Amino acid sequence: MAELAQPPPRFREIARGKLGDARVQVALDEATDRLRTNRERAWAELPDIQELRQRAHEIRMAVIDDLDVHVARFTAALESRGGRVFLAQTAEEASAYVADVCRRRGAKLAAKSKSMVSEEIGLNAALEAVGVKPVETDLGEYILQLAGEHPVHIVAPAIEKTAGQVAELLSAAGGKRVPPELEALTNAARTQLRETFLKAEVGITGANFAVSETGSICLVTNEGNARLVSSLPPVHVAIMGMERLVPTVADLSVLLRLLARSGTGQRLTVYTTLLTGPRRLGERDGPEEQHVVILDNGRTNLLRGRYREMLACIRCGACLNVCPVYRKTGGAAYSDVYSGPMGAVLLPLLVGLQEAPSLPHASSLCGACTDACPVKIPLHELLLDLRRDLVAEGVAPWWERAGFWLWSWAWSRPAGYRLTTRLARLGQPLAGLLGPGRAWARGRALPRFGRRYRDRR
Amino acid sequence: MRLVEDFVANAEAVGCHVHRGAAPQIEGAGVSTALYGLADTGSVVLAAGPEEPRANSLLPEVHVTLLREDRILPGLDELFAAVGNDLPSALAIVTGPSRSADIEQKLAVGVHGPREVHVVLLADG
Repeated sequence: MAELAQPPPRFREIARGKLGDARVQVALDEATDRLRTNRERAWAELPDIQELRQRAHEIRMAVIDDLDVHVARFTAALESRGGRVFLAQTAEEASAYVADVCRRRGAKLAAKSKSMVSEEIGLNAALEAVGVKPVETDLGEYILQLAGEHPVHIVAPAIEKTAGQVAELLSAAGGKRVPPELEALTNAARTQLRETFLKAEVGITGANFAVSETGSICLVTNEGNARLVSSLPPVHVAIMGMERLVPTVADLSVLLRLLARSGTGQRLTVYTTLLTGPRRLGERDGPEEQHVVILDNGRTNLLRGRYREMLACIRCGACLNVCPVYRKTGGAAYSDVYSGPMGAVLLPLLVGLQEAPSLPHASSLCGACTDACPVKIPLHELLLDLRRDLVAEGVAPWWERAGFWLWSWAWSRPAGYRLTTRLARLGQPLAGLLGPGRAWARGRALPRFGRRYRDRR
Repeated sequence: MRLVEDFVANAEAVGCHVHRGAAPQIEGAGVSTALYGLADTGSVVLAAGPEEPRANSLLPEVHVTLLREDRILPGLDELFAAVGNDLPSALAIVTGPSRSADIEQKLAVGVHGPREVHVVLLADG
């Protein structure tokens, strides 16, 4: 079961493990460098990129301003096409609805394509509890499901796994030895999963976007699994966060031009699919039933406050690839679902600061995430605001608040400032041995003050 | 003709095989007729319908799609302007063969969908 809440030691413990693992560090460096360079190249190709980002921001915020109107419009449009819409307030309601659809159809096997929201609501565990076997079909997610692990990156879920590890997992799953070579591994997964596509009674996908005017959902993938999952089984269920809506197909066009370029650096992913209701009269394939589950799960709490911009997120992963914290810790430290700067903002908002007090601190506030965000969410400013809330709500410990009060008092007067620099120079030999200095010095060297520090005052 | 040339260059860049006039005879290939082509991404746009089952472009190892040159549009904006709100049950914008970079970030082709995509350009009319 996916876990959204973050007890304080989680970040530290997992991050420390990842920092000490040389192989994981290389994997993270390579993957995030590649994805970042790809995005920068793809953005540079667009002469109007800054204008496009601004338009995308405005489109997303317009939906958030009138979210209830858009949900109603989407529902009416999809129902007129024969689809069914279910509004779920909580993760439990959403999972129970999907489980019920499976039960009504007597389903034993559900084929899934990558969906962060299904991870968020812990759908797989809920399906298993009622005797339905969910099989992930995205290659990375399938590997993780076989390993009993969770995604560590939004667009590259299994970046920490080696070909050797994948070979072991696929060999065990297929009962046949698979060599650790890319082509053999891909073919093995293709063969193993083909049966799932053909046999599953229910197909479950997420939704990258949904268009309120037309009642369509938009799926973006490279492998083709989302198309298979939404085309072959007799029932298709799509689960989406309620903020995925965009007003029109013209607005969708703006966001699609940004999503793939920001996520992987492609102009478009291999498959961009717009689904509008179930199979129509005379069609030979496609689902007989289509359900769209629209999930709230804490999102409406964000609608009116200063964190509303976080709902504009299009889950491209660009902020992860540039974050100096994510690039060292990887995704697992943050949560089983969302990670990096977007996760560090979103998770405390969904589960409450009390449940995720370390995440607002998982940032150097350098602002690289904000610069990389295609929909211009001021991520590092939101992280700073969350830190302020940690203090205001009394979640931050007393010594942290006392320390900052003392620091602010000293640095607002020249004598106090001089005193701290003198103390800093005197205390320098001890700094790496105790308190926060010790924690900081673990894994890196403390900076040394220059001799002429006082002269630069 | 600019659109056609751009389409060909971009479709080949994403890994499609582009043919002019005659369709290649490949056993077991799924054949579809594209509703539109998009020049700036090299994509073909497939609309599901009674004559266009989804599976043709999904299950076989090779997908052959027929595209009339006068159906090539500049890009996504023009596509959505052209289809408007009259959307089919499934509109697939296909840009190259199925691929994945999920294993060690290395490009693998033909993961679940077709390994090869052939676009056959048909002269106007």
